[in-house]
Amino acid sequence: MDLVNLFFQQLINGLSLGSLYALIAVGYTVVYGIVQLINFAHGEIFMIGAFGAYATWMVLGQPSDWSAPLSILVLLPVMIIGGIVASVAVALLTERWAYRPLRNAPRLAPLITAIGVSVFLQEFVRLFYGYIPGFPDAKSAIAFPSVPGISGATIQVGGVLIQMSAVFTLAALVVCWVFLWYYVNRTKTGRAMIATSQDPDTARLMGINVDKVIMAAFAVGAGLAAIAGVAHGLRYGNIDFKMGFLAGLKAFTAAVLGGIGNINGAVVGGLVLGVVESLAATYLGASAWKDVWAFVLLILVLVFRPQGLLGAKVVDRA
Amino acid sequence: MRVVIPNELKIRYRYPARALGIAGAVLMVVSILLPWAYAPTALDDMTYYGAPSPLQLFFAILPVLVILLLAIPLVGKARLGKAAKIVAWNTSAKTASIMSLIVAAVAVTAIAIDLGGLINVELGGWLALLGGVIAVAATPFLPDSPEPTLYRVKSPKWLQILGIVILMALLLFGAAYILGFEDADDFLMFAAFVVGVVMVLRQFGVFGWLGIAAAANNRVLVLSAFVVAFAFPFTQNGSDANMSVASQVLIFAATALGLNIVVGLVGLLDLGYIAFLGAGAFTAAILSESAFSTIKWSPPFIVTVLIAGTVSSLLGLLIGAPTLRVSGDYLAIVTLAFGEIFRITMNNLDGNDGPNLTNGSNGIPGIPDLNLFGFDFGKAHVILGIDIGRFANYYWLMLVVIALIIVVFTNLNHSRIGRGWVAIREDELAAEAMGVNTFTLKLLAFAGGAFLAGVAGSVKAHYDVSVTPDQYVFLESAFLLAAVVLGGMGTVMGVLIGATILKLLPEKLRFFADYRLLLFGLLMVVMMRFRPEGIVPDERRQLEFHDADEELAEEVEEDLTSHHAHLNPEVGGFVL
Repeated sequence: MDLVNLFFQQLINGLSLGSLYALIAVGYTVVYGIVQLINFAHGEIFMIGAFGAYATWMVLGQPSDWSAPLSILVLLPVMIIGGIVASVAVALLTERWAYRPLRNAPRLAPLITAIGVSVFLQEFVRLFYGYIPGFPDAKSAIAFPSVPGISGATIQVGGVLIQMSAVFTLAALVVCWVFLWYYVNRTKTGRAMIATSQDPDTARLMGINVDKVIMAAFAVGAGLAAIAGVAHGLRYGNIDFKMGFLAGLKAFTAAVLGGIGNINGAVVGGLVLGVVESLAATYLGASAWKDVWAFVLLILVLVFRPQGLLGAKVVDRA
Repeated sequence: MRVVIPNELKIRYRYPARALGIAGAVLMVVSILLPWAYAPTALDDMTYYGAPSPLQLFFAILPVLVILLLAIPLVGKARLGKAAKIVAWNTSAKTASIMSLIVAAVAVTAIAIDLGGLINVELGGWLALLGGVIAVAATPFLPDSPEPTLYRVKSPKWLQILGIVILMALLLFGAAYILGFEDADDFLMFAAFVVGVVMVLRQFGVFGWLGIAAAANNRVLVLSAFVVAFAFPFTQNGSDANMSVASQVLIFAATALGLNIVVGLVGLLDLGYIAFLGAGAFTAAILSESAFSTIKWSPPFIVTVLIAGTVSSLLGLLIGAPTLRVSGDYLAIVTLAFGEIFRITMNNLDGNDGPNLTNGSNGIPGIPDLNLFGFDFGKAHVILGIDIGRFANYYWLMLVVIALIIVVFTNLNHSRIGRGWVAIREDELAAEAMGVNTFTLKLLAFAGGAFLAGVAGSVKAHYDVSVTPDQYVFLESAFLLAAVVLGGMGTVMGVLIGATILKLLPEKLRFFADYRLLLFGLLMVVMMRFRPEGIVPDERRQLEFHDADEELAEEVEEDLTSHHAHLNPEVGGFVL
């Protein structure tokens, strides 16, 4: 493979990996923009999305012999919806029971709660997923269902081989981005979100139900994370209860990179992070170090441009 | 879901309630003369008539307390005199009956599970439960006692010292006894009993009095605490199993105390603290005489400790300098990322992906035991006819380390630096406006905490014999944080208790090993929601978490001014 093709191959890999980060990062950024909370458990919401999609597939009777168009047009959307339902439900429950009572507590309290929620959700899935009749034990990785037409399929563009799962992830990001733009700028709830993030007290005076807005923020983030969960399953072929930890960390890095609180920033930050990681692994060698680059980037951003690439709304709130 | 009983009802039924409560308690006491279990294998042998087992005898202490607390006030207010007001008779009776019911319920549940079904619970067990239910149902009808004022009573110095000594003796006895249980059920029942007694004494006002006594005789308290801790290995008859647990608790506690400075005093959430422990451990391992260490220079341990601490604090500076300038939330996530970088780096420094320093995932095994001034920590020896093994040696060493950390901690807490830290924690902007150099102080705390972790890590390396990267993962950081949060952020006592609970419970309750992490997560969420200040709250901290509570504010203010009265010697009228 010549150098140009290698570069484009890695660029595509990076973009699809970055789309995954971007989809998760939006959840961090939306919640942070409104309640200034780093929702550590968001990585686990992503994981639950993947497990929810898997559960939907099990309920459908593990269909594996459907034709490719039927799978892409029916099976995949249904699985995604299942995942979204699971992760949105869990996200709303954690918001209601864990974070909301602490809304006026010192800042350390919700952060510690978030760690607790994160550990709890991981362990809950690990211990109890296998108790559902007919379901596999989640103590080790579970093979994600293969969707005919996407799993393992590739298309050739010039000298570059593109996985269909990468195409799916990129397409999902584009669709979600358009949806987000519409939702935030054109709907009533979206505008209420902007208002609340600018000034919660004034927003409340203007008749906005801040509790509802916060729930909406958690729900939107969780929905996108669930789509990312499905994309992760299709990309790597398996899911496990720990998958949210590293992905969540990277996605948070992406959110900071783009400027936390800024939705477009999260998307751009995710894509940049994915590309940097992918190119660094190729050109700087030593794939064993690939996870380190993201964190080095995070520290560099905090030193030189703490407001992120596109600028954050809130940078320094003590 | 607190049941509120109207005051008229309480006044009308106070005598019947008292009688019924006593009757229930008597039932419970009588029940220990009857068998509780069908077979001797459940708990300790509870199958005899008229010959209570040790656990049954312990259980009976609680209902006896109920009887005393309910019966003594019957002599009338006149004869009780001052005692009628300074202690809380009714509320402690309430607590005592609830706790005796809980202990009885634990026992009955244990018998039912061990022997396979409730059918195996004999008359005595049911009687104890019934008595407990009666007492718990009756005592809420007693009028509430006012807050106990026992702590205001002036007592002679010898009495205060006696109180402290008795407390310490009970602590030693309790610790030795509780570690002796092999069986999880026995352990649980005894633990429930201990919690019960502690709660009753607290309600009664004894702890308030002890707190004043301890504050007045600080040296006696600290000294006796260390004497007790020092004496602990002698109660173990050379048994290594418990000493191993005890020394692990101390290593864990020392690390948690370091984290406590960072999280508790300054309010910086450090989620990669375990990496500093790991950095110390790896430094010590690499500089040890292990055949697998990659640097063939092995300085004496004193030098190694300093190098390990320095390496850790340098890493702390490296991470802290960029992140401490921005908001605290970033610090949490960057330290988390740093923990991951540390683990990955230690895995990769194996000669393939980087220079060979740590042997990658194999780590460095075969680290010899410590040797300090010619004293070999691996050797057992006999003192006073009792075998003192390898673990006891490390136990004593960690005790010294913890003592040093406590001295540093308390002195810092009352120094200019410590006040600055607390100010930063409470309101960084205000602190900065008042002239506190926030960045330098935060960096100092961060690097200092890392230094302590490095020191603890260097001992841990020798204690564990081998050091591998997967000993130092994020979950361990979360455990440390849980110990600090559970015990009470910013207090030494609380963190020691938290660390003991978190290390001891999984060791004694093997059956829940798999659910350990689940319960941790739940515990952190529940603690933050209902008691964010921890088991032993720091006064200022408690106020921070309950800032709408005016009564508490006044209480704390009064306490703080009375505690620090000696700082403001009364000269003329200029007392602030």
